[in-house]
Amino acid sequence: MTASTSDELVLPAETTGSGSVVALTGVSRWYGNVVAVNDVTLTVGPGVTGLLGPNGAGKTTLLHMMAGFLDPSQGTVLVGGRPSWRNPDVYATLGLVTERESVPSYLTGWQFVHASAKLHRLADPAAAARAALATVELGDAQHRRIATYSKGMRQRARVAAALVHEPAVLLLDEPFNGMDPRQRMHMMDLLHRMAGEGRTILFSSHILEEVEQLSGTVQVMVAGRLAASGDYRHIRRLMTNRPHVFAIQSSNDRRLASVLMTDESVSGVELGANGLQVRANDFGAFTRGIAKIARTEGIRLTGVTPSDEALENVFSYLVAQ
Amino acid sequence: MPEHGDASGVIHDIGYQRYDGPRLGRRYMARSLYVHGLRTAFGFGRSARTKILPVGLFAVVCVAALVLVVISTQLPQPVLSYIGIATTFATVAALFVAIVGPELVSRDLRNNLLPLYFSRPVTRTDYALTKLAALATAVFAVFAAPMLIMFLGLALSAPHGIGGVLDEAGKFLVGLLAAAIGAVLFTAIAVPLAALTGRRVFATGMIIALFLLTAPITAVLGAIGSGSLAQLAGLVNPVSLLSGVYMWLFGDGGVDVGAYGPVYGLVVLAVAAAGISLSILRFRRVRA
Amino acid sequence: MNLTIAGMSLRALLGRRRALLLLPMPVLLIGLTLIARLTGAGIGDWGPVVFAQLGLGVILPLTALIVGSSVLGLEIEDGTITHILAKPLPRSEIILAKLAVAWAVTTVATAIPLAVAGVIAGSGALALGVGVGAAVGALAYSAAFLALSLLTRRPVGVGLLYILLWENLLVRFVGGAKVLSVREYSTVLARAISGSTALPAADLPTVAAVLLAAAFVVGGTALATSRLRSFALTGETS
Repeated sequence: MTASTSDELVLPAETTGSGSVVALTGVSRWYGNVVAVNDVTLTVGPGVTGLLGPNGAGKTTLLHMMAGFLDPSQGTVLVGGRPSWRNPDVYATLGLVTERESVPSYLTGWQFVHASAKLHRLADPAAAARAALATVELGDAQHRRIATYSKGMRQRARVAAALVHEPAVLLLDEPFNGMDPRQRMHMMDLLHRMAGEGRTILFSSHILEEVEQLSGTVQVMVAGRLAASGDYRHIRRLMTNRPHVFAIQSSNDRRLASVLMTDESVSGVELGANGLQVRANDFGAFTRGIAKIARTEGIRLTGVTPSDEALENVFSYLVAQ
Repeated sequence: MPEHGDASGVIHDIGYQRYDGPRLGRRYMARSLYVHGLRTAFGFGRSARTKILPVGLFAVVCVAALVLVVISTQLPQPVLSYIGIATTFATVAALFVAIVGPELVSRDLRNNLLPLYFSRPVTRTDYALTKLAALATAVFAVFAAPMLIMFLGLALSAPHGIGGVLDEAGKFLVGLLAAAIGAVLFTAIAVPLAALTGRRVFATGMIIALFLLTAPITAVLGAIGSGSLAQLAGLVNPVSLLSGVYMWLFGDGGVDVGAYGPVYGLVVLAVAAAGISLSILRFRRVRA
Repeated sequence: MNLTIAGMSLRALLGRRRALLLLPMPVLLIGLTLIARLTGAGIGDWGPVVFAQLGLGVILPLTALIVGSSVLGLEIEDGTITHILAKPLPRSEIILAKLAVAWAVTTVATAIPLAVAGVIAGSGALALGVGVGAAVGALAYSAAFLALSLLTRRPVGVGLLYILLWENLLVRFVGGAKVLSVREYSTVLARAISGSTALPAADLPTVAAVLLAAAFVVGGTALATSRLRSFALTGETS
């Protein structure tokens, strides 16, 4: 659960020996000119971790790389100390639930999970399948064809197939997509229980509230970069409380500067050759107030530009904390 | 919206205007669909990759026609008559229709565009007919372009002046009629098949399979039958069906149909009618 | 060979509407043979057309294409392949199971009807010859199309190009192209076993045909296994 800058390629001590740690080091993935994942270094240990980010952030790409379904263009991906790419043995301790709702709909729930157990070469596939189906509470419907299942039931069937071999690491890609609140609650309970058994659970989501309810630890991805890691509440505070920087040109810079310093929403003013650089703590109050202030003082504003909306500044600010 | 004591919800008038101007009619719609279909057939308005096959096939027949013209002008008799061009290039036309037909029809099915089309004033019949017309025009071009090249080549080197040119023009027009028959027949076969599936590859495969599977049947029936059976054998395969009709109408098809020429003509009419009706019916069934 | 995967593949293949496409062609073949037999024409007249052109030349490749490109291709398309790949199974085991299913279904749908047609035509040797030739051809085609389904997103399109342009068109103009034509291998083998005039005379020596067919099988299987090992899930959202 630590994020490092690209200069430090240090493998945390937990990666050696423990079968339930996923460690990424300097991982990048590009398709031609498009960079989907940009230099991500993180470690995921036991417990529930949320991978948070907007659509297109690279969450699925990252998950696929962790699960051995995509090779990193750069960097290393280790699951329990072993690489996951081109290594089918890693699946003995890894389970994956993909985002696509793909299930062989002509099978019954039982047949599907039982086949999964057999393919894992378990000693008693039938017992394992029964246990998995009981865990996801599909016992009643197990002998119906999956084609007759609701969306939530299909999802649960896929989760059952993914945990039938009791994996140490479980990766879920947007598991709550399209689930109603009750199903979501059930799934969250399940994941909590599994995490309590010492497993590593990583799930991705683009909905803040889902992550909030389920895990304390998050990894935030934006545009392929790891923007933040760690405790969710801390990061949230950081994101709303960071000061915003504005570049302002006016008819009387110095006068404006002194008046702005008296305003509560402003935390700092710099007088420069090209106008003022104003740092505001309260984005909303400042933007609402600047026009009023200028009018009251009789100063004409010729330019107001937020100057640190660049993602770079957001990241560096977050990551530097 | 439930009414509160104070107006807590308002829909603002931001000047949204309904279009009240003139609306062009059905003919404009049909013409637009037709032109769009024609453009799609040759891949215009799309990426270069979709142009390769249709334009490539078109180019192949044109080049072949050029070669034929060059050879023909050296010989006293042209190598192939216009009807001969139609029968020889029928296989290429079959491949063309197998590739372009699904491009026109199956793509709309796959991308669920039909509800979009039919929630506008386009009638299902118009949609089906314009698709058929566009494909038929494209196939006609594939048949007719080599004929045109042949005509130009022969006309320019005609030995008897204007009379010769007019002579040639007459034969050319007859050739165009044959091309039209071929275009209609192949279109009527391809469109219903393509309308069965949204996947272009399967539609192409089905159309090709139809041509490929019926050819040996015709050959076998022709080989084992004697007399009537052999003469009727060509009815099964579209290419030989076409040749049979040409034989009946123009006396130049390369197959022996005996007295059964009219049967060939009837079958062509029947297939064309069936194909067109099936296409219309299939699109009528779409609930939008 | 992994029986679980084979069982699932078989069920997937035969349970869909696509399986119906496999029926009309054998029916056509047998029907045509019956008609030809009933008219009493000499088998040298219609035999080559029915057995070599229709049976080995069209029905066998098309059936093998439909089956071979679907057995893995369908799962890749709808995403269910992750359920098979996320298991600690050697990839060669998966490929062999798929190949076995593809070959079995293709053979049942082509070699058996061809053998039946041979019996109807009155020649046991012919039945054996086309049956074996079709079975060998089915194996070679299946391996090739299985590999194709992992190499390209449009295995049916490329397969059709191979069948139409290479095996049917090019071989007419460039005789050397027969060296890479599975249709040629099956025909040569069938003719060698049956010695029947119902099949065209061979251009390739029998041994060469068998070896080349084996090369197709081994090469296709190896290529498919190698591609499956590096199978990457791309093109997803977020």
